Amino acid sequence: MEKALLSALSPRHRRKTNQFTRQEAIAGWLFVSPLVIGLLFFTLLPILCSIVWAFKDYDGFTVNRFIGFGNFIHMFHDKEMGKVWANTLIYTCVSIPLNLILSYLLAWLVNNNYRFTKVFRVLYYFPCVIPGVVNGLLWLDMTDNTYGIFNRMLQAIGLPAFPFFSEASTAMFSLLLMGIWGVGGGMILWLSAFKGISPSLYEAAKIDGANGWQRFTHITIPMSTPIIFFNLVTSVIGSLQYNGTLVIATRSGRGIDDSLYLYGVKIWFTAFKDGNLGYACALSWVLCLVISALTLLLFKTSKWVVYGE
Amino acid sequence: MSKEKQIARRNQDTQLKIWNGAKVSALFLLMTIIAVILLFPYVFMLNKSLMTSSMVIDPKVPFFPDFSQLQWKNYVRLFTTNVQGHTFGQALGNTMIIIVFNIIAIPISASMAAFAFAKLHFKGKNIVFAAMMLTIMLPGIVTQIPLYVIYSKIGWLNTLLPFTIPNLFGGGALYIFLIRQYMMGIPNELIDAAKIDGCGYFRMYWQIVMPNCRTILIYIMVNVFVATWSDYYGPLLYMSSADAPYTFAYILFKNFTEGDVAADLANIRMAGGVFMTIIPAIIFVIFQRELTDSTVTSGLKG
Repeated sequence: MEKALLSALSPRHRRKTNQFTRQEAIAGWLFVSPLVIGLLFFTLLPILCSIVWAFKDYDGFTVNRFIGFGNFIHMFHDKEMGKVWANTLIYTCVSIPLNLILSYLLAWLVNNNYRFTKVFRVLYYFPCVIPGVVNGLLWLDMTDNTYGIFNRMLQAIGLPAFPFFSEASTAMFSLLLMGIWGVGGGMILWLSAFKGISPSLYEAAKIDGANGWQRFTHITIPMSTPIIFFNLVTSVIGSLQYNGTLVIATRSGRGIDDSLYLYGVKIWFTAFKDGNLGYACALSWVLCLVISALTLLLFKTSKWVVYGE
Repeated sequence: MSKEKQIARRNQDTQLKIWNGAKVSALFLLMTIIAVILLFPYVFMLNKSLMTSSMVIDPKVPFFPDFSQLQWKNYVRLFTTNVQGHTFGQALGNTMIIIVFNIIAIPISASMAAFAFAKLHFKGKNIVFAAMMLTIMLPGIVTQIPLYVIYSKIGWLNTLLPFTIPNLFGGGALYIFLIRQYMMGIPNELIDAAKIDGCGYFRMYWQIVMPNCRTILIYIMVNVFVATWSDYYGPLLYMSSADAPYTFAYILFKNFTEGDVAADLANIRMAGGVFMTIIPAIIFVIFQRELTDSTVTSGLKG
């Protein structure tokens, strides 16, 4: 994507000196005018508002005064923030590698041409088309202490009941467990990476006497790095903003003892439950900065990504 | 690689054949176990949606419904079930209004901008394009609070307007980018020939470029459908009053997260879940070819 962006921005306009140029410019602006209006009103205006409000004590109605960096300083005194950051970082740092590895293993398993494999690929992808609300509804039901089927099954094989989302100590584990069902999405990405690797590379390696493990570390992994990188960047951006616990955790997405209180939920809670819009804007800008810094770091350290053969 | 395997296999003796057969069976078995684990929740959801109310509060938690009396009527009951003065039937109607609007508005408004980016030359194009690309990288969380306030000031809260009107203006940067990449693949000769024939720019867009974009437009329509269909977060932000036009995903969310969640109505909730799942699943099956077409997502790689 970044390549395409760069090529689009490079200054090699084709200078066309025919009589259509002026007409074409008018047509061009007419075609992009809805987009420009949209960018101004639904992106630029909100961004400007958000920047200003981040420095204000603002509730959307009556309270509205500048407090400088007050909101940002408040973050360090906000007792919830430690828990929120810890939860968000645990969620991000565990779920991303976990899904990357599991989806790799799954892709490796289904990367063959047996006729039945095709069916399994579709089956493995199926959980990814399930809307988030349905997953929340379903998992809450299955992990219920009284009527939940998971505890019934544990009981049947003689194990003690597991509290899942109903206890602070097991809630994050349960959330990560739930995430495993989305492994099919990563599988698709890995498969498309495998497909892009030329079989001749493997043949050449075989002739040179490389064993299976060497072929894996010297061909499969390096050739898949663009996909790993793409996956890494998008999932870091996604996980840090994740607020899917709104559908699964009690107390409006916070969980027992704030055990599932993630940054994305904290912003929502601050703005719409506490009505502290200024502080919520400040929080969202801090998250935006963290995401930008991490993305930049990923791009800066992306020497390990191999493009082309 | 598997071709080599096949050739090699043919040449080997029966003992190896048995060994290979065992390997394939083991592979098949492993895949089946994984499939059972991954699909277990959804089969259970379907089963539970067909149970009687007394079965769902049975502490033994049966996995299978009573096959002699499958409760298909749970699905009928679903649509008349009332959540805070709204029925699932009405909510489905609201969702459909948004979807119909968006699957027409988004492809058209996004493709118009994409056409200008891909095929027209004009001053300032690169600036607009760069500004648009920056919004892809901007976390959505930054704009959601100001948008809430803006919508409240212009009286859009508790209406369907926030879910429809903004889509007339561009329809999403990522969609524009994908269509642009796709349009770049359409030969410029087609455009130049049309120009020489005196074809206007709008006709060029509508009659020459658009018919060639069938695959990407279907890809986007499916994505818009699924995104709109499963969106509970938008309504959670912009619908606070009790008489707001709730959408299907939102009413389902409210139904199990707020107030007294009646245990004996779990079958109705599960019917809601099955219904919410089955629609996107059908669409994925129908449009599988367009969705897996590599030309569509090729713009995202490299």
